[in-house]
Amino acid sequence: MNDKDKKFVMGGLIVAIIIAILAPFLASANPDGLESAAEKVLLVEEVEPMFEAPLPDYLVPALGESPLGGVISIVLGTIIAFLAMVGLATTARWFKSERNGN
Amino acid sequence: MHIPDGFLPLGQAAIYYIITIVAIFFALRWASKNLDEKRVPLMAVLAAFIFAIQAMNIPIPWGTSGHMLGAALVAIIFGSPWAAVLVLAVVLTVQTFFFADGGITAWGANITAMGIIAGFTGFGVFKALKNLNRWVAIFIAGWASTFVAAISITLMLATAGTFPLDMGLIFMGTYHAVIGVAEGLITVVAILAIQNVRPDLLPWNKAKSEPEVEK
Repeated sequence: MNDKDKKFVMGGLIVAIIIAILAPFLASANPDGLESAAEKVLLVEEVEPMFEAPLPDYLVPALGESPLGGVISIVLGTIIAFLAMVGLATTARWFKSERNGN
Repeated sequence: MHIPDGFLPLGQAAIYYIITIVAIFFALRWASKNLDEKRVPLMAVLAAFIFAIQAMNIPIPWGTSGHMLGAALVAIIFGSPWAAVLVLAVVLTVQTFFFADGGITAWGANITAMGIIAGFTGFGVFKALKNLNRWVAIFIAGWASTFVAAISITLMLATAGTFPLDMGLIFMGTYHAVIGVAEGLITVVAILAIQNVRPDLLPWNKAKSEPEVEK
């Protein structure tokens, strides 16, 4: 990576993290399109999630409904998504170099 | 737009798991051939941006809200719908396993709709319209990706017997026709921003960019 690329990655990450910090304060709490439609037309009973996620609904369970839990969750998720994407893309590229190496 | 647990019978959920795993395989094969060193960080930044912006629900009328998907954005920037499959698979997997956003049984269905269908729709619409006007094409591609993904989810849920087909299409179609306008606008703004700071990262500027010099 040259300096230009590093700058772009840092700039892009800063934008993403600013959005992540603002999201709990600015995001609409209204149900989303699918939830709204489900409220009107759902033909089955709603069930609890079948898997216990560590930060359900983008909140830290110990902090209750406070927006701080939202900020922590969404910033953390943004960083995890970044790292997971680097990992997956690097793995895909590594397979290529393996193939070419043989 | 994330489908929760309990909306799909397990047999149908399994079919979408298989579709998703096959698509991720093809997307990884695309990545191994087409991702160069500088596009790995670009893809990772997009995954971070899309995760963050998906948490930012925008209010729409009728007491409802919606968020961006980002699949059209990724497909247009990388010039391939497979890039969208890969990025949305990462984002939706993180949402499912860390935040319970989208049911674990609906993991495949959510990636099928918001990654595969939205990515291919956004890419196809952009490709079909880009010669008319690039920015209009980007806006319509963003809009269509949201709308078609919502329709595909309605069809999945109608097949599952969870939603009635007619009323499901009316509500899902109406809400997401509006949410799609936000998707189209954010897609245009994000690509304009990249066009301003790093035009060399966009496919239509590639031919004009300087040959790469390794430092």
